[in-house]
Amino acid sequence: MQHDVLIVGLNHRTAEVGVREAVAFADEQLDDVNRTLCGIEGVDEAAVLCTCNRVEVVGSTRTGFGVADRIAEFLRVAQSGAARDLAPHLYNYWGRDAVRHLFRVASSLDSMVVGEPQILGQLKQFYARAASVGATGAVLHRWFHKAFSVAKRVRTETGIAGRAVSVSSAAVELAATIFDRLDGKTAMLIGAGKIGALAARHLLGNGVGSLMVTNRTFDRAVELARDFSATPVPFEQFAKYLPMADIVIGSTASTSYVLTEAAIHEALRERKGRPIFCIDLSVPRNFDPRINAIDNVYLYDIDDLGAVAEENRDERNREAQKAEHIVTEEVESFWRWLGHLEVVPTIVALREKMEAIRRAELQKTLGSLKELGPRERDALEAMTSAIVNKILHTPITRLKQGDRRSEAFYIDAARRLFDIEDPDES
Amino acid sequence: MELIFFAISLVLYLVAGVGFVAHLLVGRDGPRRAAMTALWIAFAAHTIGVALRTAALGNAMLNSFHDQLSLLAWLIVGVYLGVQLRYHLAVLGALVCPLAFLLTLSSYIVFSGAQALPEELQTAWLPAHVAPAFLGYAMFAVASCVSLVYLLQERQVKSKRRGLFRRLPSLETLDDLNYRCVAWGFALFTIGIVTGSLLAKAMWGTFWSWEPVQILSVLAWLLYAVLLQTRSVGWRGRRAATLTIVGFALLVVSFLSLNLGLPHGRSFG
Repeated sequence: MQHDVLIVGLNHRTAEVGVREAVAFADEQLDDVNRTLCGIEGVDEAAVLCTCNRVEVVGSTRTGFGVADRIAEFLRVAQSGAARDLAPHLYNYWGRDAVRHLFRVASSLDSMVVGEPQILGQLKQFYARAASVGATGAVLHRWFHKAFSVAKRVRTETGIAGRAVSVSSAAVELAATIFDRLDGKTAMLIGAGKIGALAARHLLGNGVGSLMVTNRTFDRAVELARDFSATPVPFEQFAKYLPMADIVIGSTASTSYVLTEAAIHEALRERKGRPIFCIDLSVPRNFDPRINAIDNVYLYDIDDLGAVAEENRDERNREAQKAEHIVTEEVESFWRWLGHLEVVPTIVALREKMEAIRRAELQKTLGSLKELGPRERDALEAMTSAIVNKILHTPITRLKQGDRRSEAFYIDAARRLFDIEDPDES
Repeated sequence: MELIFFAISLVLYLVAGVGFVAHLLVGRDGPRRAAMTALWIAFAAHTIGVALRTAALGNAMLNSFHDQLSLLAWLIVGVYLGVQLRYHLAVLGALVCPLAFLLTLSSYIVFSGAQALPEELQTAWLPAHVAPAFLGYAMFAVASCVSLVYLLQERQVKSKRRGLFRRLPSLETLDDLNYRCVAWGFALFTIGIVTGSLLAKAMWGTFWSWEPVQILSVLAWLLYAVLLQTRSVGWRGRRAATLTIVGFALLVVSFLSLNLGLPHGRSFG
C-alpha cells in the first residue's frame, strides 16, 4: 500500500494566540500525546510540534481515509479547556504539500519572523521526543532529517537569516560598522521613551558593557536604570558623563536639541577623537543634525534606521524566494523516495535483480563447460534458481508481513542493502 | 628560470585580486577562500623567484629597477598575509592584490639583467639600508590600502548609503590596523633613513646632499611622525587615513625619482 504523509495543525496565521494557547500541549504531556497519536486508526507514525506559533501533528499513513479528521478530533478533545470548534483554524496538508510545509517550517519560511533561527532547534527536539517513545519510523525519520538538511542548505545558500529588520536591531547592525565589537562599550540613554529603552536593551543584549540613563525627571531615570542595572545620571550633568559614552541614544519628548554641536565637540576632545555613535529615536529630533558633519561622530535618526530596516526586509524577501526554490527541489527528491516505499514493487525489483545476477553467472559457467549435456544444464539451472529462492524467501516474507511501522523500515533497508534505490536519487 | 616563478605569481596575483573583488560583490565565501589560496601560492612562487635572483646576483640585484619593484610587491603581499592571519580583511586583499599585480607587471616589463654594482656600493650598508626601507615602504603601502577602505566605509556610514556596507570591516578595526601599520612602517623607515645617510656618507662623504629622494623621504617621515604624535590628541579616523595616503604618495614620488631619471647624483638610493 502506498505511503502518504500529512500534517494537521494550526499556526500563527490561522489562529490567534488565545486559540494557540488553548490547544498547546505542556512539555510533560508530549510523550503521552505522541503515543496516543500513534494509536489513532490509520496513523503509522506521528510527531507533534508545539511552539508558541504552531501546534502541528506530523504523520504518515497508508490508508488515508478519515485520518486527518481523526487527528483533528484528537486535537479538539485533547485539551479539555478547548472544547471549541477548531475547524476554522485547522489546516491539513497531504503528500507533496505536507512535505513542503515541514521543509518550510524547518527553514523558518513559515515563521512569524521569517529567518529566525530558533525553529530548527525546536523541530529537532520535538522529533527526538516522538522518536524516544517509538512514535516515529522510517518515513518520519527520513522526512525530518531531510527537513533539517534543507534548513541547513537554506541557511548557508541564502541570506535569509541575520538581517536586522527592526529599528533596534538596525541600530545594533550599524554599531557593528563603527565599532570592532560592542563588548566593553558604554552607552548612554537620554530620556525614557519606549523605543529608546528597546534600543538600549538590544545593545545590552549584543554585548554593550555598561549603560548610563538620564532623564529630566531623575526618579524616572533611577527607575529605568534599575530595570537595566544601569547607572542613573542627573540630567543637568549628563554632559559631564558624555565623554564616557561610545553610543548615545536620544529618546526624550523635548522640542529643542538636547545634544548640541558644542557638547559633542567637548566630549570628542576628552575622548581623544574616539568615535561616537549617536542614535536619535525621538520625533521631534533630540540631536542637532549638524553633529553628523563632525569627524568621528555618526548620527542616525529614526528615519535613517527605519530605512536600514526596510532595506533589510526587502533583501530578506528576495532571499526567501531563493529559499523557496531550494525547498521545491528537495520536496521532489523526498517525494521520489517515498514513492518507492512500496512492498510489491520492492519485491519485484529484488527478484529481478537476483534473477539477473543468477543468469549472468550461469551463462559464464555454462560457457566454459561446453561438454555438459542438456540434463546437467537443467540441473544447474534448477539448482541456481533454488538458491536464489531460498535466499530471498525470508526477506520477502518479512517484507510482506511487516506491520505498519516496520514495513517502511524493511522496504527502505531492502532497497539500500540490495542497492535498488531509485536510480535518479542515488 | 626565475622569470617562470615571477610569471606564475603575476598571474596568481590577478586571480587572487579577481577572487577578492568577487567576494566583495557577491558576498560568498568561496571566491575569498580561492583567492587566499591563490595568493599564498603566488607568494610562495614569488619567494622562490626572489631567492633564485638573490642567489644569482647577490647585492647587485638591488641596483635593478626590476628587482626593486618585484621586492616591493613581494614584501607588500608578505605584510598583507601577515596582517590577514590576525585580521580577516578580504576587502584589503581586493586592493593589495591588484597593487602587487601592477608592481610585478611593471617589474616584468622592465626586466633586465643587473649591471655590475659600482665598487663603492659593495658594502654591507646597502642591504642594511634597503631591507628596512623597503619593508617600511611595504608597511606604508598596506596602511594606505587600509586607509582607502577606511575612507570608503566612513563615507558610507556618514552618508547613510549602503553599498558594500556590511562587507567592510568596522571603522574602529580599520583605524586601529592603520595605526599599527604606520607605527611599524615608521620604525622601519627610520632605520632605513639612518642607514641610508650612513651609506651616503660612506659613498660620497656626506650625509645629506639635497636630492629629491632624500627631501621627499624626510618629508614623508616628518608627516608620519606628526601623524603618530597627534593620535593622542584626537587626530584619528578620516584625518589619519588621509595623511597616511598623502605620506605614501610622497614616498611613491621619491621612489620613482630615484629610478626614472629625475636628476640625482647617484646610481642608487
